[in-house]
Amino acid sequence: MDASVASVCFHCGNPLADGALKVWVAGIERPVCCAGCEAAAGLILGQGLGRFYEFRRQPLSVAHATPRNWSIYDREAAQRRYTHEHADGEREVSLQIEDLHCAACAWLIENSLRHGPGITQIHVNPISARAELRFQPRRIALSQILGRVHALGFSARPLSFAGGPSAFTAERRTALLRLAVAGFGMMQVMTYAVSLYMGALSGIQPSLEHFLRFVSLLVATPVVLYSAQPFFASAWSSLRAARLGMDVPVALSIGAAYLWSVCCTVRGRGTVYFDSAVMFTFFLLLGRYIEMSLRHRSGLQHDALARLLPDSVLRLQGERAERVTPDELRAGERVRLLPGERVPADGVIVSGRTEVDESLLTGESAARVRSQDDDLIAGTVNLTGVIEMRVSRVGQDSTLAAVSRLLERAAASRPHIAEVADRVAAWFVGAVLLLAAGVGLYWLHADAARAFPTVLAVLVVTCPCALSLATPAALAAATTRLARSGLLVSRGEALEQLARADRALFDKTGTLTRGNPQLAEVKVCDPGISSTRCLALAAALESHSEHPLARAFAHLTPAAGLSGAHGEPGRGVEACVDGVRYRIGRRDYVLEGCASPAPLADLAADDTASSVLLGDSSRVLAVFRITDTLRADAQATLRQLQTLGLAPQIVSGDRPAAVAAIAHELGDIAASAQMTASAKLARVQGLQQSGRRVLMVGDGVNDAPVLAAADVSVAVAGGTDLAKVSADIVLLGEGLNALVGGVETSRRMLQIIRQNLAWALLYNAAAVPLAAAGWLEPWMAALGMSLSSLRVVLNALRLLKVDVRPASAAPVQAGTVLRA
Amino acid sequence: MSIIYLLIPLGLVLLALSIWAFFWAVRSGQFDDLESPGMQILLDDDRAPPPRAPESRDV
Repeated sequence: MDASVASVCFHCGNPLADGALKVWVAGIERPVCCAGCEAAAGLILGQGLGRFYEFRRQPLSVAHATPRNWSIYDREAAQRRYTHEHADGEREVSLQIEDLHCAACAWLIENSLRHGPGITQIHVNPISARAELRFQPRRIALSQILGRVHALGFSARPLSFAGGPSAFTAERRTALLRLAVAGFGMMQVMTYAVSLYMGALSGIQPSLEHFLRFVSLLVATPVVLYSAQPFFASAWSSLRAARLGMDVPVALSIGAAYLWSVCCTVRGRGTVYFDSAVMFTFFLLLGRYIEMSLRHRSGLQHDALARLLPDSVLRLQGERAERVTPDELRAGERVRLLPGERVPADGVIVSGRTEVDESLLTGESAARVRSQDDDLIAGTVNLTGVIEMRVSRVGQDSTLAAVSRLLERAAASRPHIAEVADRVAAWFVGAVLLLAAGVGLYWLHADAARAFPTVLAVLVVTCPCALSLATPAALAAATTRLARSGLLVSRGEALEQLARADRALFDKTGTLTRGNPQLAEVKVCDPGISSTRCLALAAALESHSEHPLARAFAHLTPAAGLSGAHGEPGRGVEACVDGVRYRIGRRDYVLEGCASPAPLADLAADDTASSVLLGDSSRVLAVFRITDTLRADAQATLRQLQTLGLAPQIVSGDRPAAVAAIAHELGDIAASAQMTASAKLARVQGLQQSGRRVLMVGDGVNDAPVLAAADVSVAVAGGTDLAKVSADIVLLGEGLNALVGGVETSRRMLQIIRQNLAWALLYNAAAVPLAAAGWLEPWMAALGMSLSSLRVVLNALRLLKVDVRPASAAPVQAGTVLRA
Repeated sequence: MSIIYLLIPLGLVLLALSIWAFFWAVRSGQFDDLESPGMQILLDDDRAPPPRAPESRDV
């Protein structure tokens, strides 16, 4: 994308406001968007780690300027929970790091921390997004380590110490060991097999033949018992569930070939098939290992539970109040919550009255009033009052944990087409077993000596492995490819829906526009005050506001001497500066505070901008006009989606004039204004009823229910955490254009899945008659089957390599397409 | 051909050794992260290590 244009932050890639801060990189001045990014970039460059910026794959997320207080993790109880003490006094801790996307980020964290005092060992694994480190508690505290990671622009959280590798790493290690045993075993057994085949042709001493067979048996045994164990386990569990899984014929052919060969070896006559069994095992494991690696790489670390809990909470024990981590809470304990704090666990309010933001669960951003005896849910935000609650459920029992389990299940869900393949495979397996039995019976009568090898060849050659790998391999490859271009897919199903979508609904604010308001104009209404002073006052007041429009003032130097700020969410902020009371915010809010509002006729809100007023207790001082610019690639993206057959529409909650102006600028696309969340929902459902498949793109703040209702939903980065967990796909970068690549990749993925399925069926249809006729030796069958599976996996890997057509909408001439 | 009765068992011993070595390597984490070491060769350079960050820096 257009990262070369200097209009984005050097550190986080967000668009810049005017008058942004600068950092010096290798003698070149680079702009950054905020004080947080300036500090993080300064720290990285100051440690000589500037090369990070050359090698990273994605911009980081915005660094937060305000340091958080981690000292909670230095208490003895927390130390025991999160760290493990070694005999030499050093402690070991695992940190989960958010926003860790690539190896360059891992390198940055490792090197920055390694050169600091007190850290003796550190390894950051970019695949599992975990840092494992050992530190000397006398020289550096856990809180300082967390602070240092934070200062680089990442956020880290200690994990309860479990010891040993994570489940993820363990799965990888076991798969690798099984593959290695099968691989080494295969090499050896093949050597012996070649000698035996040559011997069969040109004569061999019986004692030597015997010896080679026993050695083959020796080497094949660990392969069958250890490497092929997952196939036996899976076949057994599917048989117990009275289903015919893919692995039934696999287990049957490996087991039968092995047992038959053992008998032949012991009895000293007949043909052995150790080579076929071992080769079959190796190639099957290889296909599955590649598929697993792709899956791990593309997997999102769904850890919504921990992310939504507060860092610390004030626990009350009798008269004593103590800050603890939410992990340490037990049911029945009392907790005091201050305004702005997240609820750490499910519980009941004991005293106090407050408003609570429950948008996490309901998707509604309006706050709910909660008072004594009302329930509170972990992860929601206490907005206004000081309350005390009694904890009822913590950790895995809480509502939040249940929600995140639902999310995990959704993430594990497989696309429709994979389920169809599985169902087809069950019938297929049944047919294969019947066929093998039929062929066996026939050959027993025709030529009993050929019966076993022929049945074995039929079982091996018809193994539906290619069929079972066809979809997951393509899915994993497509997900990986999209992750590289900045689209994170959280549900497998989403890609299939994305490929089939034919309507695209866009939210306006924060989606088509940057969601990064800029100050367009200042109108000073009072002659006794300068515009500079007005801006300084506004910056001071707005620094206490969470409203998106407040960001327009973030780059200005705030006036000093501010006290007693308090805000009304969605309306404005009031505070004293040098003893004078000021209000900033919506027109009605500021006018309420004024004794004698000046006539404001000439300040009527204009069509495309929002206005913010600044006033003191007697009059309106200034009006700020704030505009939100379109994303640079919005127009191109919409046009390309149109060419791809996704008719775009704008649905916005904004005023008609503003929406019409944007729609015109984007090339007169259909637009609806003043849509509430429920109206958007009705629009989505209406389109679905008329047989359309709807893609919904939003920022996820007010449209979480709409995102959930659409066939496939995309949230634009910078949206809330909620949007990230409720949307199927998250756009990480600043541009929308990755969406076009996403649609194209998902369509290619469907195409490749169909090719793979067709290939697998065609191969089986051609090979079965040959095997049944007795023309294929078992080793040929194993080779053919393995090549067919590998072909399917390699075909899916093309999704990674081939560059999707560059996003210029005009059809590219044949021959120039794949030159990139 | 009787040398084969010596060579093949020797080969088996080598096989067992290499599998043992591979198990050791995997279990000690050598294969957990195949991405960062490749990156390190690009990122680390031959200059002297960066000066240690002062204990108190004003960020």
